[in-house]
Amino acid sequence: MNVQTVLVSMLPEHLLLAGLCLVLVLDILGRAPRTSFALALGTVVAAAAAAAVLSAGGYAAATFVGQLSVSPATSAGKAIVLVLAVPVLMLSRDEFRDAQFPMLALASLYGACLMISADSFLTLLLGLETLSLPVYALVLLAMQRKDCAEAALKYLVLGGTATGMLLMGASLLFGWSGTLAIDAFARALDAPSALARAGAALVLCAFFLKAAIFPFHAWAPDAYQGGSVPATAYMATIVKAAVLLAVVRLFGAAELSPAMIALVAVPPLVSIVWGNITAMRQPSFRRMIAYSSIAHAGFLFFALLGAVEGRFQAIAFYLAAYGLMSLVAFTALPHDGDDAVDDRIDSLKGLFHRRPYAAVTLAIAMLSLAGIPPLPGFVAKFLVFRNVMAAGHTELAVLGLVGSYLGLYFYLRVIQYMFMAAHPYGATQAALRRHAFAASLVCLVPVALLTVFPGWALGLLRG
Amino acid sequence: MSDALILNVVLWLPVAGIVYTAAADERRPDAVRGWSFALMLVQFALTAWLYLRYDAADPGLQFATRLPWIPDWGVAYLIGLDGYNVLLVLLTAFLGPLVVAGSWTAITKDVRLFHAMVFLIQFAMLGTFVAQDLFLFYLFWELMLVPMFLMIGIWGGERRIYATIKFVLYTAFGSILMLAAMIYLVWSLKTTTGVASFAFADLYGAGLKPAAQSWLFAAFALSFAIKVPIVPLHTWLPDAHVEAPTAGSVILAGVLLKMGTYGFMKLGFPLFPDAAREATVIVMLLGVISIVYGACLALVQTDIKKIIAYSSISHLGYAMLGLASVDLIGIQGAVMQMVSHGLTAAGLFFMVGMIYERCHSRNLADYGGIAKLLPVYSVFFMVLTLAAIGLPTTSGFTGEFLALLGTFRTAWQAHAAGNSTMLWLAGVAVTGVVLGALYMLWFAQRFLFGATRAPHAEHVRDLSAREVGILAALVAAVFWLGLFPDEPMRKTELAARQYQQLVGGARAVAALPATEARR
Repeated sequence: MNVQTVLVSMLPEHLLLAGLCLVLVLDILGRAPRTSFALALGTVVAAAAAAAVLSAGGYAAATFVGQLSVSPATSAGKAIVLVLAVPVLMLSRDEFRDAQFPMLALASLYGACLMISADSFLTLLLGLETLSLPVYALVLLAMQRKDCAEAALKYLVLGGTATGMLLMGASLLFGWSGTLAIDAFARALDAPSALARAGAALVLCAFFLKAAIFPFHAWAPDAYQGGSVPATAYMATIVKAAVLLAVVRLFGAAELSPAMIALVAVPPLVSIVWGNITAMRQPSFRRMIAYSSIAHAGFLFFALLGAVEGRFQAIAFYLAAYGLMSLVAFTALPHDGDDAVDDRIDSLKGLFHRRPYAAVTLAIAMLSLAGIPPLPGFVAKFLVFRNVMAAGHTELAVLGLVGSYLGLYFYLRVIQYMFMAAHPYGATQAALRRHAFAASLVCLVPVALLTVFPGWALGLLRG
Repeated sequence: MSDALILNVVLWLPVAGIVYTAAADERRPDAVRGWSFALMLVQFALTAWLYLRYDAADPGLQFATRLPWIPDWGVAYLIGLDGYNVLLVLLTAFLGPLVVAGSWTAITKDVRLFHAMVFLIQFAMLGTFVAQDLFLFYLFWELMLVPMFLMIGIWGGERRIYATIKFVLYTAFGSILMLAAMIYLVWSLKTTTGVASFAFADLYGAGLKPAAQSWLFAAFALSFAIKVPIVPLHTWLPDAHVEAPTAGSVILAGVLLKMGTYGFMKLGFPLFPDAAREATVIVMLLGVISIVYGACLALVQTDIKKIIAYSSISHLGYAMLGLASVDLIGIQGAVMQMVSHGLTAAGLFFMVGMIYERCHSRNLADYGGIAKLLPVYSVFFMVLTLAAIGLPTTSGFTGEFLALLGTFRTAWQAHAAGNSTMLWLAGVAVTGVVLGALYMLWFAQRFLFGATRAPHAEHVRDLSAREVGILAALVAAVFWLGLFPDEPMRKTELAARQYQQLVGGARAVAALPATEARR
């Protein structure tokens, strides 16, 4: 271990930590929350830039041998997570005036970065917990809401279960292989030992739970609905991205054995179908997004069925497209006062006449999530299914695509409400929310890049 | 400016239009309409220029642009004109300004959004036609859903939400299977030849196994058949047509439905020739059912728009017959039928829209003796009706006659070889011509003649100069194709031959001289 490697390879993490400490100190000194917010935002941007530079420069190093290593792919993953955090932070500013949100977000992002570059289950667990614990508090920040405590508790308890399963799985794998390195998981996938398989299955289930894959999905709708818009945005995009990137790393170079294919394919497939069907009936926008994210998690896990070399690219591109588009949707939501009313899909009715910009961007987001070309969501889906089909799973790919068709209806319903219906509670001219608007612009720039130059983005993520 | 650049300008001009409408002022709707019309006119002028420059003797892609887009997958921005699409591109660009002009007084709500959607549809339709790369084609193909969804849903009639969601769900289901087939197709091209490419020209040579071909053909055919639409996948069409605003109906009938037949011609049949040959009789049968069933349904409708909607199903059945015949004359006829139907159906939908704006009813029973009330209107209506029936000297005759002739030539060959199924089918198809005349003339008789009655008859005025202009342009085009079909058909001939070669393979090429000799 040398100091320079530690400094350079973990530069994004160091920046986040420094920013976090500064924000804490500023808060103790009683400075205006505005400063903390600007500082946190600057920190995240700097960390994202650092990660992007590391990735583009092809920097690879084993920072702590056996515990944590950095490759261009991990840095690219960090860059995606951190870029997604920028609009989330901006979005939070409209709702939370003090420094708590940025503080918790910075801490959680540190965990995300740690998790993405973990080499051992120890680091992985450390990252996962550092990622998750601040999120429970983030959900609780909106305490004046009715369902908030319930949401946070559910998230906490089920998060604890996931941790438990991960630990149990890791210890079984340790018992089998005598090592805590995460390669054990990949090797255990096609090992003849029952111990190894049980361990691998438990670890996988822990990640299914974290990513809200059927049948471990039930917490997500409640948590999403109960939290605030920025907290939901954080869970739906950043937590999901960090978890999935860790999963790709976990699977590493493992080819799936036929038995594992069933385990990796069936729950995600059911997630796609179940998420999309259930989303149709949701009266709450955030609940609907929760079910949509359950379906999208299914697509993301589907990408693991593809050949090894394409997995990271597919998942990273999908996460970027999905994350950016969900955030565009969150920035466009109406915010007229009462959160319970704003959250109803009904209140999107007639949005085009009240706030045309919000309606158009939300429509674009819905179309992208539905996978309508030429938006990035389509390219992402295409990439996943292309890989799955290339790996010879034609039937699974067709089933997955048909499952994605089921989602079309509820995304279109949002557009239908915004453009083809009148507002049910009388037209109120909501004031433009400055930060949400800026956040949506921040998202739309990379969205435009991904739409016009998908080839370029895919080249960057080749891994 | 090079011609390839002009084709790009033609394609991207609607996007400029969208940007314009976003920046325009909603309180000055006439400015929005005027500028949109001007842009569409420029687009048509440029397309017409390209059409004149199009070299009928060159079998390859003309005015082509090829830029790598997603190099990892072999996706390229590859556009160009060829014999398949040149007439359809011209038709699309021709209808553009007419659609804007035709909605001048009908659309008063969200004028900017409406024109943005018209531009977006125009962009997607032109893109679908000029794309020579499957990925690009699919992109535009799917993109088309979005503006049409909004157009029917926002400016449509009473049951617009139901109609528009039905339209989208039907068409999207076809496309999702096409997407799966497309991924598989490109993947097998890569594994068999080592070439990663989405270009049509490369995909024609994929050399798939027959078993795979049948599945892929089924997926592509389903998607295209929904769009055409072929009975029994047609049920979305009457709803969409009836509920859509005039502009939506005109675009649907004028161009969108041709996407289906174009898809069959450019992709469905030539990409999977073995499967297509196997399915010839089925496709012909469905085509004949569409012709006869569509005509029968049109006969009994009481809603004016529905009559024309069902007549579309019937008329495009001829195009399907012509394509399935894989006979040079039949293919040429199919192309002419597509363009001709684009003109007559668009014209008739415009006319229904015009009478609806005046009398606010689409119920045929409310009308009678319109000839006395609106003489100018009635003259145009009669001309377009006769063109739809296929009266000689109009475009309808060229299309229907050639498509049937080609079908008979193929059917006769099959009959000589001992298989009479096709001959029977062709015979039944001819009854469609009689039925077509029956329902259209009966409709015209009830509508135009008899005792004069119409809702709000006392306020009704005859056509304005704007409306006369729209209809005159359409009628002129109808007669151009009817009287001088030679010139446009020369431009499509080489493509028709190429199609014949791709689909018919050795059989068609060998069979051709025999037919000539028999005559």
